[in-house]
Amino acid sequence: MPTQSAQLDSPRPTTDAQLAARAVSAAKVYGEGDAAVHALRGVTVDFPTSRFTAIMGPSGSGKSTLMQCIAGLDRLTSGQAYIGDTDISGLSKQELTLLRRDRLGFIFQQYNLLPSLTAKENILLPLTLAGKHPDEAWLHEVVKTVGLTGRIDNLPSQLSGGQQQRVAVARALLPRPELIFADEPTGALDTSTGQEILSFMRRAVDERGQTIVMVTHDPHAASYADEVLFLEDGQIVDRMDSPTAERVLDRMKRFEG
Amino acid sequence: MLQIVLSSVRHNRGRYISTLLAIITGVAFFSATGIVSDRVTGALEGDAAREYRGVDLAIVPADEAGSLGDTGRTLYLDGSTIRKLAGLPGVSATAGVLTGPASFLDAKGKRFASKATGRLWVDDDELNPLTIDAGRAPTAPTEIAVDRGLAESQHLKLGQQVTVATAAGPQQSTIVGTTSFGSSDAIDEAGTISIPRSRAFTALSDGREQYEAMYLRGSAAQSALVQEAKTAVPSGFKAQTGAAFVADQAESAGELGRYIKRALQAFAILALLVGAFVIYNTFNVIIAQRMRELAVLSAIGATPKQLGRMLRAEGLVVGLVGSITGVLIAIAVTTIAIAGLNAAGVDVPGSGLALNTTNTLGAILLGTSITLLSMLAPARRAGRIEPIEAVRSAAVEPSHVSRRRALIALVLGAVGVLGFLAGSSVEIVGAAAVLLFIAPIVGSPNLVMASTRLFRPLLSRFGLEGRLAVDNVARSPRRTATTANALYVGVFLVTLVTVAGTNLRDFTVEQINKIGSADYVLTSTGATLQPQLLDRYRAIDGVRQVVGFRRSAVTIDGKASALSSGDMKAVGEVANLKTRAGSITGLKDGEIALNPRADHPRVGSTVKVVAQDGTTEELRVGAVLDPESLDTAQIGSVVTPATLERLAGPGGDTVAFLALDDGAGTATNTKIDDLAADRPDVVATEGNSLGRLIGDIFDFMIKAVNGLLMMSVVVALIGIINTLSLSILERRRELGLLRIVGMVDPLVQRMIRLEAVLIAFIGTLTGVGVGLLTGWGAIFAITRLTDANVAFSIPIGLVGVVVVTGAVLGVLASILPARRSTKASVLDALAS
Ligand SMILES: Nc1ncnc2c1ncn2[C@@H]1O[C@H](COP(=O)(O)OP(=O)(O)OP(=O)(O)O)[C@@H](O)[C@H]1O
Ligand SMILES: [Mg+2]
Repeated sequence: MPTQSAQLDSPRPTTDAQLAARAVSAAKVYGEGDAAVHALRGVTVDFPTSRFTAIMGPSGSGKSTLMQCIAGLDRLTSGQAYIGDTDISGLSKQELTLLRRDRLGFIFQQYNLLPSLTAKENILLPLTLAGKHPDEAWLHEVVKTVGLTGRIDNLPSQLSGGQQQRVAVARALLPRPELIFADEPTGALDTSTGQEILSFMRRAVDERGQTIVMVTHDPHAASYADEVLFLEDGQIVDRMDSPTAERVLDRMKRFEG
Repeated sequence: MLQIVLSSVRHNRGRYISTLLAIITGVAFFSATGIVSDRVTGALEGDAAREYRGVDLAIVPADEAGSLGDTGRTLYLDGSTIRKLAGLPGVSATAGVLTGPASFLDAKGKRFASKATGRLWVDDDELNPLTIDAGRAPTAPTEIAVDRGLAESQHLKLGQQVTVATAAGPQQSTIVGTTSFGSSDAIDEAGTISIPRSRAFTALSDGREQYEAMYLRGSAAQSALVQEAKTAVPSGFKAQTGAAFVADQAESAGELGRYIKRALQAFAILALLVGAFVIYNTFNVIIAQRMRELAVLSAIGATPKQLGRMLRAEGLVVGLVGSITGVLIAIAVTTIAIAGLNAAGVDVPGSGLALNTTNTLGAILLGTSITLLSMLAPARRAGRIEPIEAVRSAAVEPSHVSRRRALIALVLGAVGVLGFLAGSSVEIVGAAAVLLFIAPIVGSPNLVMASTRLFRPLLSRFGLEGRLAVDNVARSPRRTATTANALYVGVFLVTLVTVAGTNLRDFTVEQINKIGSADYVLTSTGATLQPQLLDRYRAIDGVRQVVGFRRSAVTIDGKASALSSGDMKAVGEVANLKTRAGSITGLKDGEIALNPRADHPRVGSTVKVVAQDGTTEELRVGAVLDPESLDTAQIGSVVTPATLERLAGPGGDTVAFLALDDGAGTATNTKIDDLAADRPDVVATEGNSLGRLIGDIFDFMIKAVNGLLMMSVVVALIGIINTLSLSILERRRELGLLRIVGMVDPLVQRMIRLEAVLIAFIGTLTGVGVGLLTGWGAIFAITRLTDANVAFSIPIGLVGVVVVTGAVLGVLASILPARRSTKASVLDALAS
């Protein structure tokens, strides 16, 4: 099982039995008493390695909360969340930070780049924080695949939104994390730029055995995933293998009814 | 990692400008005072050490002479003493020091260079501290030398004929040389006129050969010389090795410079501490604006330690850049200033820049550490950021203010006031003042909220922009509070110094004026007041009475002191002379009416009195004077004329007290002063001038301290500019929107101006209020703890000036931000 960051460079076996992350009876309550909001009501879910999983559901259904709690950005109120076989509910803040740094990657809706650093410096940021040196060939390849060659010495303010999101994707990919979390990565992009980003994520799963968990509202985006989980009112209510945009759209329509 | 820090500093350049300005201002001031005073002090000390290096043995007065009120106690060494010393084995040359008042008279008989010092020219080159710059040394009785500065300022040329006025009267003389003292022009403050030995004793003393001090040069070891000299040193003097003497001279030459340096640097540090508020605020705002960025870093794996370290490194970079720039600016400014002064003919002693490492490193260290300290708290807070903030909507600063703060502030304030009302010692009262000072800083966010509530109705009258201005100030109360606090510190201190200072001044002056005294005191240095001269004073319209008496310098039980004799009954009528025990008029020959001392001698005990020439007599204490009269200081102790004659030889009056008619006007004063002008040795002082003098000193101190406090007010001004600029940066979209929906630029600018004035007012009013309260508390506590009954009054005019200044500062601070608020095009403002 790929729980050690040292093993990340070796090709990963793709058996379904291996899990990149999972949640067991995960519950999250915001606030207290009358004002309490039950964002997650006992979610149990597995994320197998080398799979691209999409999470969908109506607004406020708890998608972001689920992702954030599994990714160690926030803590569950009860239940457990695992990265590999590490129970992250028991980790200290410092341990969580190091776990994120060494094993996870993030792509946010608002690209969230550091405005003072160039594209390249932004991409290298997780390695810099870990005090590691980049593998130049791998860096070159990542930059090439996301289509940023020639633009990496620009500041974020000199890049378009799509280009900024490519930087964010490259930043998530470069350390070869066990698992990448993406919250509406194409939410702020036009359709064709969004498609480029999505197909690039797809290729990372197919060609490199990367594991990706993505929250999205867009049925077309979800169609790039291997599996779609449907969340409603803090619970998983449905799942769909090999989704297509039409089937997902149909399923989503049922929520509105 | 350093890369990230540096690019972040570069990226936030605009935001760091004010921080840099605050650091630069303080550090430059600190470093410039260091450079200038070290240069001057170093030069003066160097001069003293160089010019006196030939001295192996010095005979100098045993205790420091000439402090306020110690009139007429200059002791002299006589000719026989100097000859005895010159005869000691191993002594190869001697030089005596003799000084006296001297000045010049112009063709119309008007005096100029009236404060100059006449000085006996020392013929031994190695012992003479003065150097001939041009011409030669004076030798004939009608020759003199003047110092370089005097020659320049009075346009005196070599070979020129001048009338020199001394105690011996006017004398035609020729200037044969100009002198200097090391790198300075003159050894004496107001210029030196060197008089040759052939005339000095007539011109500078009463014709007898006598000296104030002596320098000797010899072949024997200095310590051996001191041992030998001991027996020959008269009472009131001490023998010093040349090394000790030079060290003393250097010390006293540099003393004032060192003192001024310390005082100025204290104000520079204060300005830096006020700057700390600005720096703290800037870092807080910068961090708040970068919360999302920091949260992203945290999400992708930066530990709190790494975040903290990164921000501290930013602080370090900013602090270092600011401090080094400050030092460089100080070097540039002092170089230009000194060059300018030199070009304008003002000689700044010393050469080059006193750029020692202590100064430079000290300034850089100070600036950097204050920067680092002020950002410690913001950096720690930033390190604790939750990574989840990265995905939440824009992070905002907390806008609530805790009630606990207000409560703590109130308790602090109350304890402070209680300390003033009931504190039983000076320390407690001091602590009370500190508590009162801190209380508004602790409760400042609450104070800001209260003030905005108070000012909202008033500002709403200005229309929409007025209301928005109040809302903006209240939007981040902590930030507004820190900005206002920087101003508060300065205004508080200005108010406190002014209020406490003026009240204490009035009290002291009133107390001194209550002490009765002669209206005028005439004193002759080195000569006598002849009866004819006193008659001329009696003839002046408005002068009621003139009483002369004789005063002589002696030592009483080894302490330098003055002894007077004369018609003490008449003196008593003019002066306010009282005794604690015995009576002056009943004094018998061989008795003394003693000026009281620390050891409280009683009537009936004896004291040992030694005159100039060594004549010694044991006197019985017949009376003890009451020192609570200014005139007692003039008189010293009293003996009968016969007793004084036995001790000091025959002699005339040297001091006279004048009483004026009650209605005497300024014409009388002018006539008295004019008459004294004819005789350089005669000084006429108003009897109660001490009160005026002390009042002047108080006024000067209040003005000087307030002037220096302006430094910190300037830094606070930078703070207001800073806060406004940063908030305009944040509100770009909002301002753009306002302008799109139709707020015209002048109104936008007016809104910014109102914000600035409001912030400045909050700081100023708090400062004035708490300053007044603390001033009152201090005066009240002084009245309570001592017997003094100091009246308290508020200098309303001054307080008004401070409040108006606060508003003006606000308007000044708003100029740049207001202009910037409407500079961007409306569409630019809306772009992200
Ligand atoms: N910090 C918070 N404090 C209180 N309630 C919260 C907080 N964050 C989320 N919630 C609530 O928890 C529920 C789930 O929120 P979550 O952000 O997970 O929804 P989502 O599925 O991601 O919605 P969307 O599609 O709109 O992004 C919502 O009802 C939301 O109001
Ligand atoms: Mg969401």
